[in-house]
Amino acid sequence: MSTPLLEVSDLVTSYGKIEALKGVSLAIEQGKITCLLGPNGAGKTTLMFSTAGILKPKSGSIRLAGEEIAGRAPHAIVEKGIALVPENRLVFPHMSVLENLEAGAYQRSDPDVIGSDIEKLFARFPRLKERSAQEAGTLSGGEQQMLSVARALMSRPKLLLMDEPSLGLAPLVVEEIFRIITELHRDGTTIFLVEQNAHMALKVAHHFYLMEQGKVTFSGDPGSLAEDEVIRRAYLGTVKA
Amino acid sequence: MIADLVQNTLDGLAQGSSYALLAVGFTLIFGVLRRVNLSYGPAIMAGCYAATWTHLQFGAGLILLALIAIGGAVLAGAYVERLCFAPHRNTGIGTSLGSPIAAMVASFALWMQFEEAATLLLPSHLYAFPPLYSGGPLGFGPFFLRVEALVTLAAAIAICLLLAWILWRTRFGLAVRAVIESPRAAELSGINVPWVFVRVFALASAIGGVAGYLVVASHEQITPMLGMWSTLKGMLAMMIGGLGSLPGAVLGGLVLGLIEAHSQWYLGPQARDLIAYLLLFVLLALRPAGLWPVRSQS
Repeated sequence: MSTPLLEVSDLVTSYGKIEALKGVSLAIEQGKITCLLGPNGAGKTTLMFSTAGILKPKSGSIRLAGEEIAGRAPHAIVEKGIALVPENRLVFPHMSVLENLEAGAYQRSDPDVIGSDIEKLFARFPRLKERSAQEAGTLSGGEQQMLSVARALMSRPKLLLMDEPSLGLAPLVVEEIFRIITELHRDGTTIFLVEQNAHMALKVAHHFYLMEQGKVTFSGDPGSLAEDEVIRRAYLGTVKA
Repeated sequence: MIADLVQNTLDGLAQGSSYALLAVGFTLIFGVLRRVNLSYGPAIMAGCYAATWTHLQFGAGLILLALIAIGGAVLAGAYVERLCFAPHRNTGIGTSLGSPIAAMVASFALWMQFEEAATLLLPSHLYAFPPLYSGGPLGFGPFFLRVEALVTLAAAIAICLLLAWILWRTRFGLAVRAVIESPRAAELSGINVPWVFVRVFALASAIGGVAGYLVVASHEQITPMLGMWSTLKGMLAMMIGGLGSLPGAVLGGLVLGLIEAHSQWYLGPQARDLIAYLLLFVLLALRPAGLWPVRSQS
């Protein structure tokens, strides 16, 4: 097996005295969709924030294609090739859809290619094209989620992190989000996905991890554990007898 | 009667345009950093004292004095940013709720530091500052306007246009607007947020430096009160216009100038500040978000 695109080892991150990650280790393979499941408070978002540089890990390492990136500033991590689609989307509400996308390309210095990338994204997300001059805050929740994904793609990431992309969206929109995830994968994007919707996530993932109370408790391919067992653990945690 | 009204309105707009500049700088820092910088005026004062000193030592020309006032304000602003605002940023998860207050109190401490330095270390309380223009006011029919007032008005318009161009037409402006809307989303988009803070601070201090220079050149003098005066006028105009709103800052500055000019004429110089603060209270009670508020973020 070759070097994984992202390799997290023994990562510890804490909020004050409380350790939210207690030595997490996992690997994301190039070109795959890897999914992270677990109950609320397991530390999934903390892991995403630590990887994106928003939280500084206390110890451990995060390697992107072999290069240590733990503890770097968020903008430096975007430059290295990791983009996070955060929970609750976080678009720039009073900027136009187009400006949101331009902000996503902030670090790039190839204006001609940026223009054609925006055209490609508009082809993938026709709704965003229709609304390109509209303020992002006026879009529906699903459209804002599309914009958030498109903005992250504007940095041309090697690895796309997605934190609960289906949260609070209607079932049909959730279907569309997962369709886009599979499309992005087909086009060669490596995706690391945090999801509450275990059923949908297991359908698209090549590999998954289960997290509980700041630790990885299981890892395997979909099918290596019965789905109802995964779902039970992902929502409820391991029942201690 | 009507002639007085028009003359007072002209005077008020002229004075108000310097308030508008002070408020634009103050508001930029507040809007981007979400922090109140009480040392905003004192940093401007430091730049103006540097210009005064240069004038006394070398008798330098007006343009050079203006550049020194601006440069001095930017340097003093950088000192304030490093000490008060760099340690209390609003990015990251770990920042405590106390950090806006810690930053404000730190900037109050630096305000006192600047003011005490000016009061205690300088041999004289008041220094003369060279005027922009030594001739009399210009007559427009029955009305008069000082050349300083026209220059201040022109500078305010030019700077507002330049700032609008920077904010809506440049890459840096895109980053500034992104940080205003969501520092978290900005850093996740690859924008170096702390560096945007530093550059916004420098820009705001430079605008404040222009305002400070025009004020001392119009008054032809400088005292250690300039620091407090600049902070208060900038903050007041921002409150009138709307917290963090740049068009509001311009409007608030002009409104403040007009209120002051009219109350001074009709009620006497003692009433001037009293009326201004009274109206601020009334306005904040009736319209807490100001005259031209920022649209809600949600």
